[in-house]
Amino acid sequence: MSFLQYLIANQDEVLARTVEHLWLVAISSGLAVLVGVPAGVLLTRRPGLRTPILGFANVVQTIPSLALFGFLIPLPFIGGIGARTAIVALVLYGLLPIIRNTYTGIVAVDPAVREAARGMGMTDAQVLWIVELRLAAPVILAGVRIAVVLAVGIGTIAAAIGGGGLGEFIFRGVAMVSTPVILAGAVPAALLALTADGGLHLLERVLDWRR
Amino acid sequence: MNKRLLPFLPLIPLIAGCVGRDAVIVGSKNFTESLLLGEIVAQQLERYQVPVERKLYLGGTFVCHQAIVAGQIDLYVEYTGTASSAVLKLPAAHDAARVRQSVDSAYRANWGIEWTAPFGFNNTFAMLVRRQDAARLGIRTLSQAARYAPGWKPAFGYEFVEREDGYRGLLQAYGLRFGTRPATMDLALTYRALAEGRADFIAGNSTDGLIKALDLFPLEDDRHYFPPYQAAPVVRSQVFSRFPAARAALAKLANTLTDERMRELNYQVDVGHQRPADVAAGFLAGVAK
Repeated sequence: MSFLQYLIANQDEVLARTVEHLWLVAISSGLAVLVGVPAGVLLTRRPGLRTPILGFANVVQTIPSLALFGFLIPLPFIGGIGARTAIVALVLYGLLPIIRNTYTGIVAVDPAVREAARGMGMTDAQVLWIVELRLAAPVILAGVRIAVVLAVGIGTIAAAIGGGGLGEFIFRGVAMVSTPVILAGAVPAALLALTADGGLHLLERVLDWRR
Repeated sequence: MNKRLLPFLPLIPLIAGCVGRDAVIVGSKNFTESLLLGEIVAQQLERYQVPVERKLYLGGTFVCHQAIVAGQIDLYVEYTGTASSAVLKLPAAHDAARVRQSVDSAYRANWGIEWTAPFGFNNTFAMLVRRQDAARLGIRTLSQAARYAPGWKPAFGYEFVEREDGYRGLLQAYGLRFGTRPATMDLALTYRALAEGRADFIAGNSTDGLIKALDLFPLEDDRHYFPPYQAAPVVRSQVFSRFPAARAALAKLANTLTDERMRELNYQVDVGHQRPADVAAGFLAGVAK
């Protein structure tokens, strides 16, 4: 059976797995932003935390996913088997580009602009929201873009812990020694990654233009 | 059981390069259990003053089979089920003695190769639960376990779910019904998930050292659903005319290994990091000469 034949014969499942995959990526990227951006901001306010937090995010990147799952299985609340554990792993893998770009983006804001904002009587919170985050937005978004594309790719490992997604086809295909089955997972995943990258690139341009 | 054969094709000329006829050439496949059994057979022959040359860790079923047919090795340990399905392409059968009989006569007729007596253990899929659960519920077999399955969360590797002799057939054979759909995941992680209480029922390999390491309990396949994978030496018949002592040596290995004993030996190598040759010697010390 060729790849296309397999794809057509199994279009319902391919679609369902793609939706599952999108969901995994969306939830984990959303959480990574919710954790990563504040963490990045924190680093600009407390430079002493820079080494431990970026160090942690760096080390996480080097842990192979199967080993990470092995660590996560026994943990209460965030561990176990299924989509939840996969999402925890994907959030951890997504943190580094988001934290780093948030930090870099804010630090790169021209000190004169910051001074001017203070001179106008803005509070710290106002400086952060109105000046720093707005000016750093393109850089932060570039980090998010990297994290999302990574999540689409790494998301296939969710299937190693019962989390579903397009990785199901890849693992199944490897077990059955069947290339069409592997491609039924790999090709949609690649298309998803390209689409996500293109979409976020567009958003970056729009934000740039609004500035 | 082994389909990963093609990548090893280029190895054949390598194996073919070495021809020596003054010793029995013992081969093995490229995983712990096969290596251990190859070492056990080699040392047993040496105990009977049969000269041995080792060509262990050759590759998968395909490489070993081609090598023995071509006469580049004289002997290796094969599994009856693997020979039946992967080498001879026979339909799956469930009677251990009949499978052994059919592979033996086919090997003799086709290639002048004999199957000597099996070691006694069966390396097949093992349905595992936690030992404490098995003890608490007082269950030993899959038929008994079927009563409790609706309350269990199963987790399986992809191969077990996809294989014809895997999950679907198992449900039918025992009328099993689980409470949740099985989680499909990485095989090694299913062991971990079971041990940590995140899954209640998994499919492992019956002689895997992890079963012992994690205190798991293999449920008996009392309806003989899984095809038998008995391990036994396959030997070129002319070995016995060249070295008559070899027959007695191999006969002594019959039924010396239970599933549990084989698990223990694998455990010593995989988890205890002992050398296969030492583990084999330790085992043979307990086998009457």
